[in-house]
Amino acid sequence: MYKKLLSLLILQAALMSPSLYAICDSSDIDRDQVSIHCGNTPSATFDARGNLWVAFVQDEFVYVSQSQDLGKSFSDPVAVNSAAEDAEHNGENRPKIIVDERGLVFVSWTLKTSSRFTGEIRFSRSTDGGENFETPRTINDDNLFTGHRFESLFLADSGHLYLTWVDKRDLEASVEAGEDYVGAAIYYAVSDDDGASFSQNYRVANNSCECCRIAIAPRGPENIAILWRQVFGEDVRDHAIAELTPSGKTLTTNRASYDQWHINACPHHGPTMVQSSLSGDYHMSWFTNGDLNQGIYYARYSFDDERSASIFQVDGQPGAGHPFLSEHNEKLHLVWKGFNGRETLLNLITSEDDGATWSEPTTLLKTNKGSDHPLLIQNSDSLFLSWHSDEFGYVLLDVNENIRRLSNNEN
Amino acid sequence: MKIKKAKILRKLMGNLIALISFAWPNLTIADNIRSFTFDSFSRIKSEFEGKEFLLGLWSVDCPPCLVELDMMGKILDLNPELPFVLISTDPIDTKEDAIEFLSDFNLENRESWMFADSFVERLRYSIDPNWYGELPRSYFFDRTHEMNSHSGIMSTELLENWFAQDITFP
Repeated sequence: MYKKLLSLLILQAALMSPSLYAICDSSDIDRDQVSIHCGNTPSATFDARGNLWVAFVQDEFVYVSQSQDLGKSFSDPVAVNSAAEDAEHNGENRPKIIVDERGLVFVSWTLKTSSRFTGEIRFSRSTDGGENFETPRTINDDNLFTGHRFESLFLADSGHLYLTWVDKRDLEASVEAGEDYVGAAIYYAVSDDDGASFSQNYRVANNSCECCRIAIAPRGPENIAILWRQVFGEDVRDHAIAELTPSGKTLTTNRASYDQWHINACPHHGPTMVQSSLSGDYHMSWFTNGDLNQGIYYARYSFDDERSASIFQVDGQPGAGHPFLSEHNEKLHLVWKGFNGRETLLNLITSEDDGATWSEPTTLLKTNKGSDHPLLIQNSDSLFLSWHSDEFGYVLLDVNENIRRLSNNEN
Repeated sequence: MKIKKAKILRKLMGNLIALISFAWPNLTIADNIRSFTFDSFSRIKSEFEGKEFLLGLWSVDCPPCLVELDMMGKILDLNPELPFVLISTDPIDTKEDAIEFLSDFNLENRESWMFADSFVERLRYSIDPNWYGELPRSYFFDRTHEMNSHSGIMSTELLENWFAQDITFP
């Protein structure tokens, strides 16, 4: 009890907020109640007015909830799917949410169709400000009972809405033809009418890793860059980067990381990527346990040079994982989960010179219970940590305010 | 009527076994999946004190794990005495899925554990602070419990090298 109070006090101080955050297992909240605190694997975004939108999974429903006071209170959650379906909810699989300039709400998730790695890519949208959602649609167009999972959603400045995912249709075809096929494939589809319809599915690459999230960043107003874990040769699971167009053409595909991780296993550990506003290059962070590098790494990739630079070991401790990058006011932020044997630490480093040099790590929050991957989101004012844990429920933490507080405490 | 009575009796027996197994977790029954918590690993080790054993970590969400389970199932058919303990890193409330997989590979009666705490980082650490969570992951403990680890699908060469006892391979 004392420990819990202490943890809450630490969180309280960290948040500098007078209100306590709801925790799902506290006695005054029914565990079965649908809420962001009791749900799983939330994703969050801000709309043009600075309102927070969160999508999460609870009991076979994807819910969307809004907050107009930076996560202190939330609207009643609205179910996106009206019929229950097994939406995947684990660290690498979570519902995604985007709210565009006009207030259209786009939501995607992976529907688990069996316990054998099969799934479908699901999409729904709201055209009335999140009050109602259209009946979810399946975006993979092969009608195969196979793996379509680990989807990512991205809205380009041009309004093109991209969905990318890990797909096993080519593996199925190879098995039927009696041929070997390593891993899975990366596919995508694009909507040019605000999610009313999607293009056919386009293949980006064969032989991707089967179980890692895909990172997306803009490349010009309508193209995107994607970063994913790819199988190179027989069993090296490093990263590849590609530029995709709305027309279905993959312009460039290159290797982005050289760690030489020889492994025929599932790392369940996808990369993160943002475009630099300073150089236009791509900040990447990922996990590896390769022959050359081990731990969480950062590097900056240039499509012009076709190579990665400023490679930096972020954290080499074995418990470290799940990095997430964001750039705010030309300052690059990287959060990740560390583990010291007793507690999970949410650590942060920053770089003000495009990833050439980095600050010392700062621990934003700690927990000695289960927790989700950390995410970073931003509005026009600040950068926020979006994080769910058993101990604190859902937390939105102003990263800049917290850095200032920590630095004042040190002085 | 007789059938009904037999059914009730079987159910009662089942409850009795469940009760005994609850009080004495080392007893294995048909659904022999045990809750893996922070002290489970030391319990497994003490169970095999002075003996060699192999630990296989897996998940239903890991395609290469199934290749390994298939291989181990076949090896264990030929070597039923081979000490092999399974730990699934999936939450124990999804054990129906795990049992379905294990049954496919004839492994459902093997000693089996599933992660039973959402603080998975600490569960992983309790097994091996140097494990990053990738699956499949295997650990071999010799008679002095010196540990060897391997990430990715196990090979017959590794098993041959690790075990002092002879193994018949399919």
